[in-house]
Amino acid sequence: MSEQTLPRTRSFRFNWDKTLNTTGAWVLALLWFLPLAYAIWTAFHPALYEVRFDLTAPLTLENFTKAWEAAPFARYFLNTVLLVTGILAGQFILCTLAAYAFARFDFPGKTVLFTLVLLQLLVMPDILIVENYKTMRYLGLVDTITAIALPYLASGFGIFLLRQTFMTIPKELEDAARLEGCSILGVLWRVYIPLAKPTYLAYGLVSVSHHWNNFLWPLIITNSVETRPVTVGLQVFAAADGGLEWSVINAATLLTSGPLLIAFLLFQRQFVQSFIRAGIK
Amino acid sequence: MKTLFRSLCVTAGAVALSAGTLASAYAVDLQFYFPVAVGGKAAETIQALTDEYSAQHKDVNIDAIFAGSYQDTVTKALTAARGGKPPQLSVILAVDMFTLIDEDVIVPFDDAATTDEDKAWLNSFYPAFMKNSQTGGKTYGIPFQRSTPVLYYNKEAFKEAGLDPEKGPATWEEMVEYGKKLVKKDANGNVTRWGVRIPSSGFPYWLFQGLAAANGKVLANADGNVTYFDDPAVVESLEYLVDLNKVHGIMAPGIIEWGATPKAFFEGQTAMMWTSTGNLTNVRTNAPFDFGVAMLPAKLSRGAPTGGGNFFIFKDSSDEQKRAALDFVKWITAPKQSAEWTIATGYVAPRAETWETEKMKAYTADFPPALVARDQLEYAVPELSTYQNQRVTKILNDALSAAITGEKDASTALKEAQAKADAILKEYR
Repeated sequence: MSEQTLPRTRSFRFNWDKTLNTTGAWVLALLWFLPLAYAIWTAFHPALYEVRFDLTAPLTLENFTKAWEAAPFARYFLNTVLLVTGILAGQFILCTLAAYAFARFDFPGKTVLFTLVLLQLLVMPDILIVENYKTMRYLGLVDTITAIALPYLASGFGIFLLRQTFMTIPKELEDAARLEGCSILGVLWRVYIPLAKPTYLAYGLVSVSHHWNNFLWPLIITNSVETRPVTVGLQVFAAADGGLEWSVINAATLLTSGPLLIAFLLFQRQFVQSFIRAGIK
Repeated sequence: MKTLFRSLCVTAGAVALSAGTLASAYAVDLQFYFPVAVGGKAAETIQALTDEYSAQHKDVNIDAIFAGSYQDTVTKALTAARGGKPPQLSVILAVDMFTLIDEDVIVPFDDAATTDEDKAWLNSFYPAFMKNSQTGGKTYGIPFQRSTPVLYYNKEAFKEAGLDPEKGPATWEEMVEYGKKLVKKDANGNVTRWGVRIPSSGFPYWLFQGLAAANGKVLANADGNVTYFDDPAVVESLEYLVDLNKVHGIMAPGIIEWGATPKAFFEGQTAMMWTSTGNLTNVRTNAPFDFGVAMLPAKLSRGAPTGGGNFFIFKDSSDEQKRAALDFVKWITAPKQSAEWTIATGYVAPRAETWETEKMKAYTADFPPALVARDQLEYAVPELSTYQNQRVTKILNDALSAAITGEKDASTALKEAQAKADAILKEYR
């Protein structure tokens, strides 16, 4: 008898902790979603409904056409994609090799070098704009996608993150691989990289979204349509003097952030899990 | 046709290249940064004008580069200059002149404009615009996308309130009087239509100068090293602005957004608004009612600031480049091109000659409000511009915001601002 009633009373008991957590999560989620909801609302309706909520308001795609025509967005998208994939590839290669060296090898000056890498985390990239510009000019790279990417390739954050991950991987796995005749780089390729996959995924997301949204440096170092990313194209709309057209601005914002949003929704589960495993918050 | 022309150019270029570097010795390369501060066709119009110029002048390759907002443009230009590769030409806020001189990156137009004809050209701009463009007897900036604030009003609302729809308020007192008649409230006493809207977000100092100038006071001297923030006339102007809400109840309380102001006007949430002439084309296209444009109301006299961007020539350019840059600026400010630009954007054409062209005459006959801004130039004062301009205007902006939100009273806020500005500008005296 008691065995049957106990679970039943439990399921009816009001769980304060759980309710609070759920309500909190919903409130936060709604707050986060509100600007996006407003953007979607205004983007799909005529400008007249920017400040009026009316369920029967006519839907339109005109804002998207207007936004798309305001700048050569097709080319800008291509540039942004080239830029973020280029940066990501470069960062993965450089950071993996550096992190492997810092995690598993002993060499003179290791601590000093690693401190220097960590120091990079303390420097705001914006401070270095003039120096970076000088370097790019010296290399003859002004107005190229390479010039936008180059200052970010040796990422201190990436090196640090991967080193920490590599250090948590048991040395026994490496020893076993070495016994089987694996070379130094072979160990990296066959043992370390596969085990650090969640970290790569999490770091990749942070890097891609950061560079997708970066504005000031690309604006300064590039001059032509062939090299500029979408963020510079978006700037055409930020003309406050003439009165803001929120519907077109929001359509443009959705267009440019759309690919990232969709990618995140598609790979949401993997991202969330890898964030938890990699410990980035 | 255009593609044919392009492919011809490419072929010509290839031939020239194969003939050695001869061609590059003749062609002058110019980089030209431009900001976009009004929506619509501004960027396209500049591109079209530069293309037209390049087609007419085969010896000049001019590369027009969009550089974001005014703020972004000055950052980009200064970074490029410090990095050793400045543009030859850029449109930058007129008020950044002292900053650019301080950074030693620009040269005066007088260096390149040496002939009598050139000198006459330098004198052909409206004096109101040149006040912000000259210092120490030299001309550093050539007015291009210049504006001035005006008062827009809703004629239908005026009729409804029993006011003459052909006449905007002429004085401060009239604006308050009209405003009181124009305010509309619903049954619960909530305001559904305000009398007037003077935006104060971001850069309240600009429109505030319209009040101070009407009260007979400019905010800084011509050398850009003394400000007059705590002058009694300036304090009185700020009190008037604050009282529009606090005492008269004809303007919404708190900070009023710039970007949302035209919209509020279209939606009938305000019967009058103060904003830039850069909005003329926008209001003309989007206002669902008949609207009027008037000069800013007077206290002692009429008065308004100027605003907007000038052309600047950068220092690290060869003599040929400077001459070519000057030639381009002369061409784009010439009556025909200037008229096209003004009609496309609503900016005030900076030379009297432009207003005499057939095109402009037809435009103003069809749309007389465009003349109000020009006629107001007679009373215009230069926009606040000092050394360390960004810091000094920020001090004033903060003081104005504090008074508008009621944190401090007008005279305390302005006294504090003056003391801070003095501390910064001391070393430039």
